[in-house]
Amino acid sequence: MAYLEMQGITKLYPTSGVLANDAVDLTVEKNEIHAIIGENGAGKSTLMKLLYGLEHPDSGVVLFRGEPVKIKDPLAANRLGIGMVHQHFKLVPDFTVAENVVLASEPMKQGLFIDRQTAVRDVGKVIEEHGFSIDPKKKLQSLTVGQMQQVEIVKMLYRNAELLILDEPTSVLTEQEIERLFETLRGLIERGRTIILITHKLEEVMRMSDRVTVMRGGKVVAVRETNDVDKRELSRLMVGKDILLEVDRGPTTFGEPLLELRDISISVRGQERPLLDRVSFQVRGGEIVGIAGVGGNGLAEIEDVIGGLRRTTSGKVILHGEDVTCLSPGQLREVGLAYVPADRLKRGASLPTSVRENCIVTKHHDFLAAGVLKRRSIREFTRRLIEHFSIDAGEGMQAGNLSGGNIQKMILARELASETDFILFSEPTWGLDIASSQFVYERMLELRERGAGVLLISSNLDEILGLADTVLVMYRGRIVGRLDNTKTLNKQTIGEYMLGLRDDSQSEPVVAEVQHG
Amino acid sequence: MDKRKVANLLSSATGLALTIGIAFAIVILLILILSEEPGRAMYFFFIGPFTKAFYFGNMLNQAIPLIFTGLGIAVAFRSSTFNLGGEGQAYAGALATTVILLAMPSAPGIVGILAAIIGAVLISAFLAGLSGFFNMRWGTDTLISSWLLSAAVILIADYFVTGPLDDPASSMMTTAKIAEQFRFLRIYLPSKLDVSIFLAVALAFGTYFFMQRTHWGYEMRMCGVNREFSRYAGIHVGKYLVIPMAISGAFHGLAGSMTLMGTHYRCLKGVTMGIGWNGIAVALIAKNNPIAVIPAALFFAYLNQGAQVAMLRSDVTWELAKIGQAVIFFLVTAQALYGLYKSRKKKVST
Repeated sequence: MAYLEMQGITKLYPTSGVLANDAVDLTVEKNEIHAIIGENGAGKSTLMKLLYGLEHPDSGVVLFRGEPVKIKDPLAANRLGIGMVHQHFKLVPDFTVAENVVLASEPMKQGLFIDRQTAVRDVGKVIEEHGFSIDPKKKLQSLTVGQMQQVEIVKMLYRNAELLILDEPTSVLTEQEIERLFETLRGLIERGRTIILITHKLEEVMRMSDRVTVMRGGKVVAVRETNDVDKRELSRLMVGKDILLEVDRGPTTFGEPLLELRDISISVRGQERPLLDRVSFQVRGGEIVGIAGVGGNGLAEIEDVIGGLRRTTSGKVILHGEDVTCLSPGQLREVGLAYVPADRLKRGASLPTSVRENCIVTKHHDFLAAGVLKRRSIREFTRRLIEHFSIDAGEGMQAGNLSGGNIQKMILARELASETDFILFSEPTWGLDIASSQFVYERMLELRERGAGVLLISSNLDEILGLADTVLVMYRGRIVGRLDNTKTLNKQTIGEYMLGLRDDSQSEPVVAEVQHG
Repeated sequence: MDKRKVANLLSSATGLALTIGIAFAIVILLILILSEEPGRAMYFFFIGPFTKAFYFGNMLNQAIPLIFTGLGIAVAFRSSTFNLGGEGQAYAGALATTVILLAMPSAPGIVGILAAIIGAVLISAFLAGLSGFFNMRWGTDTLISSWLLSAAVILIADYFVTGPLDDPASSMMTTAKIAEQFRFLRIYLPSKLDVSIFLAVALAFGTYFFMQRTHWGYEMRMCGVNREFSRYAGIHVGKYLVIPMAISGAFHGLAGSMTLMGTHYRCLKGVTMGIGWNGIAVALIAKNNPIAVIPAALFFAYLNQGAQVAMLRSDVTWELAKIGQAVIFFLVTAQALYGLYKSRKKKVST
């Protein structure tokens, strides 16, 4: 009998209408490292949240050590012996290591006071047993990121976790720290624990795991013994087969460059690897440029830079021939920017206010008479957008009561109403049904035909292949592939760039190094 | 209005009615236990304010500063900035008014009054705006900084009232009185009700119009609801950390100034007597709707007046009156806060 079995797990997020887990089965054997891989939005994090009691499934059963269990919250998961190390640490910087570890399960003196000595001793024991190198009395803020992660692991071990879930544990670590983590994981396996490793890095899967479950679009698409697969097959399983979009992308001629990024870099203090590393590209009139990549590799940063929401460390942004580096979003919109953001519920729309107020936000200056908003023309404008984009909503309705697809249509309607020649789309169809997605695609192609420049940032390769004239692939903050979207380009190739198996950008510096050496 | 809105409104109205009912029941119970003549005490506590023109007028008069401060808090809250320094700002407004008017004792009435209002509004808007500026510049929490600033301002104002500006002729800790021509016309004698009530009501409607219909109001509300969205759309979000605070401060300055020229005529130590704090409760009950601030302020004034009348006319002691008032304030504010908490939670979960 398996150690952990999740059967038919289904989870629907009603507000966004996303079916995050669709009848997912997962089997984990005792004392193995079981990797779960998949692209962003594949449903792996949701599945783990359900297992750890952070979310509750709509249907399905969880069997742990052969017994059916209902996991109400993380504390209940801890009691069962399930622990989770989150991608973003949940630690208190002003507390010591020991205080962080015992938080919420502190040893007590006379039932009233925290027994610090016992805490330090017990935590020290756990640290020693597992060969960690942290001082339990040290303040957390003086630790490195790798050490903080160790504290998270110690916290779970202190609570007697037998099954450890690690969510993208290497995403914030340096190479040496990753090695250190892998040693730790091996040590834990030797001591009889079981580990679930969530990742999208194939290397880690190959090196560390015994078995691997591949997820795509909320479903499990394959379960394999790690020894029986190679990276290519895994990447194929992750991205899936080519699905031809039913769009008609006719030929166009490219015009002048409308947007250009020159050597844009963003580095963050304390982090070795820059978030963006000398990114350069241009978008011309009549062209759709698609940027593909796995989350965490710089896509969100590119969106923020172009939207004016994030400052760059170096480099230039040119929009319609003007240097717009580090201008505010308002100034950028004046120069000529329309932008459909990835986070449509928080950034793209204001859910508690009316559709009307959502529609005029970027151009409410046009509806003023002596500082007072002209209600009639606002109403007419909104009604026109609703009709034109067949949005299923009334102009006075609260935006939060609209379906996900209609919210996206509303955002689209607003952004396209600005009639600029450059438009940024970030994950424009994420979580949308086929009809709404199709609608979005048609609008994008219309823009292209009109001679506008479109930048499409998307982790959905089908839509990149179906729409883009030029495909850029991001990996670790760099553009590793610049590909013309010809008939021969397919998902497998893009997928290999996305997962770091191919890298065109390396060739030049490598040659240079050889010359120096 | 869609159905959901109507249902929401109904449920919050019944909720408020129920809370007030429970609060009144507790007060009645307290009076029954502690009063020798409970019938009389209850009569004056609840009906008292309506029994005489004097009581009724004073009740209306007490509502005036609460309307101003309630509006100030509502504007700030609507924009998701939090002004907890209302008390100090109102006090500063009252003191500024006094200083200006004492400095020009023979000026024509209208000139002095306008100068005093402008001075009070500017100084209080500056005080609150400063907290907003700190927030924009360094991300300090306006809730904390406005409160700390106000606490200091209260002490400084106390110093001036009891020190350099103290009126040696009076046995109280107060400044001298302002000249006759600056005192507002009383419209419902013998009570203290003065003409500034018209300004208060007009401003409530004006604020509603400003928030709902003007482009600044729109931008402020958008920033209040979702700052990330506002920034994305090109609204200058930093500006709207400062402006709502300054407007809020201006309202508090006005409250202090009006209560001085309409009611007190001189700046006593602690002349604002909690109107800054009660403004928060008024705004909460009004759910930050400027027009609803009027009835909310009247309700507060009614409770205040009821307690005073009951003290004067029955054996209700000062302590009992204050406890009774506190029970009602506490429950009503808690109910309003709970509603706020629920809507916050809903906002976060979507």
